[in-house]
Amino acid sequence: MTNEQMLTEIREANMTYLMLAQSLIRQDKAEALFRLGMSEESADMIGALSPAQVMKISSGNMLLCRFRVDDDMVWNLLTNHTASKVDNDATTKLHASILMAGRYAEAM
Amino acid sequence: MATKSVLNDSKQVERAVALIQLGARLQVLESETDLSYERLLRLYKEVAGRSPSKGQLPFSTEWFLTWQPNIHASLFQNTYEYLTKVSAMEDIDAIMKAYKLYTEQITACGVEPLLSITRAWRLVKFIDNNMLSMTKCSKCGGHFVSEAYENSRHYECGLCTPPARAGKGAVAGGILLH
Repeated sequence: MTNEQMLTEIREANMTYLMLAQSLIRQDKAEALFRLGMSEESADMIGALSPAQVMKISSGNMLLCRFRVDDDMVWNLLTNHTASKVDNDATTKLHASILMAGRYAEAM
Repeated sequence: MATKSVLNDSKQVERAVALIQLGARLQVLESETDLSYERLLRLYKEVAGRSPSKGQLPFSTEWFLTWQPNIHASLFQNTYEYLTKVSAMEDIDAIMKAYKLYTEQITACGVEPLLSITRAWRLVKFIDNNMLSMTKCSKCGGHFVSEAYENSRHYECGLCTPPARAGKGAVAGGILLH
């Protein structure tokens, strides 16, 4: 991938992310806060962006969405990486969902 | 007597309709809206196309502590608490939204939703009244529905340490271990 291509892809990922976030926020804010895992202030700011502003902040060399899974426990459950008593995909995914739904500290 | 507000009335009807569509029992509607019993009954028949189920609501806290229901209840309660912490809204609205997100997530995991909206509503009441609580699992750190005074130092959730018979007599749409 050339540098040019990389920047284009980052811009597109940012734009897709922001546009999805906007439509979620405008549809149902509370639900969007859960789905996006962001604070109400950030959601208000993103919801108020105009298309021109979205275009403007999308271009740059940094991705705007951040990785949500930042601890080993959830990561291992999602990837089925460690041997445990449960080895059913659906059930470990369910376990991960419970843990992730419990993490609201980042969204406050 | 409070003056009747048409706007408020329409909000109440809207909420009642949403609850009926989610499958709520009449007792939930009576408790969460100011509409009269007769109006709720008429509304119920109109929306659901049948008379509401009769009889008492399930009242026991035990159900939430059995293995499978506990996992369902914990997913719902975590979602509910997330919503109430990040945004200010009325309890019943948070319950309805959390229930929607719960069914969405559980279906994505290939499991049938075991928790009904009525049970979910009961669960929130039980926790509010300290008849049940949320305890942190000492292994995975997740919060799970548990007895009111569970010792959190030794508590292990049903997914980290499933009980011996768990997942054995599994039916289609249930939680499986293997």
